[in-house]
Amino acid sequence: MKTKLFQRAGALALPWLLALPLCAAENWVRYDALPGGSKAKLDGTSTAHDWTVESRLIAGYVEFESGFNLEQPAPGKVNARCVVSIPARQLKSDSTRMDTVMYEHIKQKDHPRIEYRLTEMTLKEAPKSADAPVVFDSSGELTVAGVTNKIQMPVSMTRVGKDKLKFTGSTAVKMTSFGIQPPTLVGILSTGDDVKISFEWLAAKKEETK
Amino acid sequence: MNKTETVELNRREFLKGSSFATLMTMLGGVELITPTPARAVDLETLVPFQVKCAVVGLGAWGREILGTLSRLKTAELVAVCDTYPASLKRAASSAPKAQGVEDYRKILDDKEVRAVIVGTPTHKHREVVLAALQAGKHVYCEAPLAHTIEDARAMALAAKAARKQVFQAGLQTRSSAQRRFLLDFIRTGATGKTVKAHAQWHKKQSWRATSANADREKDLNWRLNRETSVGLVGEIGIHQIDTLAWFLNARPVSVTGFGSLVQWRDGRDVPDTVEAIFEFPEGVRLTCEGTLANSFDADYELLYGTDAAIMTRGNKAWMFKEVDSPLLGWEVYAQKDQFYKETGIALVANATKSTQQGEKSADDVPFSTTSLQSALESFLINVNEIGSAVEDFGASFDPNDKAALEKYLAGIKLQPRAGYQEGYEAAVMAIKANEAILKGEKVAFKKEWFELA
Repeated sequence: MKTKLFQRAGALALPWLLALPLCAAENWVRYDALPGGSKAKLDGTSTAHDWTVESRLIAGYVEFESGFNLEQPAPGKVNARCVVSIPARQLKSDSTRMDTVMYEHIKQKDHPRIEYRLTEMTLKEAPKSADAPVVFDSSGELTVAGVTNKIQMPVSMTRVGKDKLKFTGSTAVKMTSFGIQPPTLVGILSTGDDVKISFEWLAAKKEETK
Repeated sequence: MNKTETVELNRREFLKGSSFATLMTMLGGVELITPTPARAVDLETLVPFQVKCAVVGLGAWGREILGTLSRLKTAELVAVCDTYPASLKRAASSAPKAQGVEDYRKILDDKEVRAVIVGTPTHKHREVVLAALQAGKHVYCEAPLAHTIEDARAMALAAKAARKQVFQAGLQTRSSAQRRFLLDFIRTGATGKTVKAHAQWHKKQSWRATSANADREKDLNWRLNRETSVGLVGEIGIHQIDTLAWFLNARPVSVTGFGSLVQWRDGRDVPDTVEAIFEFPEGVRLTCEGTLANSFDADYELLYGTDAAIMTRGNKAWMFKEVDSPLLGWEVYAQKDQFYKETGIALVANATKSTQQGEKSADDVPFSTTSLQSALESFLINVNEIGSAVEDFGASFDPNDKAALEKYLAGIKLQPRAGYQEGYEAAVMAIKANEAILKGEKVAFKKEWFELA
């Protein structure tokens, strides 16, 4: 009986849940990823040489509650939503062969996108000048190879022109924490577990929808 | 006597005989072993992607293409096409899973087919290539692109406009690791100032194919008719001319030709023996000659510099140094082969990493990737790269934002290949050389002939 009640309640709640983002959109300012000017980079090590892979493609959006003053942000918790993703196969090194190994290890065919979802954003102190980058503390969920981990990192935001925002940041992760065994090429090299992720992400303001 | 027969104990040989670990220990290094059990990757068995391909035209070269593709794990042969049913039947052994069709348009209608490899007679390239590009397929077209400049231009322009598709001309040496290694070597100035270049292609064969069916025989012998053929210089010499012009890093100023029918007077109007002399800037000339009447010394290309000459034969190359040229150092240890009274220093790509240099003669290397295989491998990788970039871009941003998409695609690193520009320029050189040969006169190249407006 209880189950049925919950089901009914769920059925009633569903349309409301779906409608929520639509209502909320009116109070949020949205910035969408731009097709150029972004770069995500992974730096790692191996027994032979250090390696780097890059993607110039970062999709997604960031939304701020309309009350948030981007020009003079006040310290405290920031009401923001952000989801970004990278098509895993757009991550490239200098070697097609090494890329093949990487895609295999991050299970690219089953998990074609690497996704980041912001869960919390806080501004510790107000920027010293209008042009200075705004540095937030962020918490979010990073999903690679189908495994989600919580990550925390400082993210720097700079205003570019009137309607663009540039975000930069970096953090360190371990391949094994995402269930990825560091790749080894027998007799050639073994990669290290530690990977540094860094990014530059450019987004432009979306025209307000009413 | 081959110099390699002499037993030498040099550093390279010594190192080859000892293990890497021993060497590291001798150098005071300690092998660091990863503590966690790592997953080993076997690159040979990994299939990174597969491109569904179709081959159109299954003559001798078409079958060569088909055979090569059938050995590539990145190619999935889904269709083959030839207007002659017996050719389709013959192709089945190389591509048992591929559907055989007589009309290429069936292949273009098939949404599954992503890439079309065109190996039809030269004069039939245009129709198939234009339709394939129109249908959104990635296209590999054999060289020469066409038998007329008008056709080659139309194809190159269509390929240029198809920004989301890969177009590759079958000038396969452009994808060869060996040739690219040579190019870098030449660019460093190791051969000194360029003096001249020479290409030869000798074979004793009629070029004629027979068939019980008169119409079929006429179709088969398209190379023997001026209407449809660009002759020896266009069908064969184009690869040599393209490579040498690439090495010379210049476009020719003029070409003078000579041709005669010496051996095969069977009603054909295409010469069986030809010479073309291309003039390049700064007095550098490239002589290109071919015959179907004598096979002596087969085929090779030579680039002469004031310090050294470089000879290429198939996938191999040698350097012949002048006595007064500066010592490079490494040539002391390099493999050498004797050519009558000349000593050729083998130029092997990645020689320091491989065992190819050392005790074996460059002529004894058991297997090396053919340039056709390299070219087709490059093509398939590029199709996958461009194809997935277009798809991922479309899923992330506005797919109609053409300028942004083009910018993104321009940043994709592609495998070395001859694109539409290289394919077109080589066709212009070859077609004009054939014209000079047939007329027995000099043709001056106009700059605009090479440009695609």
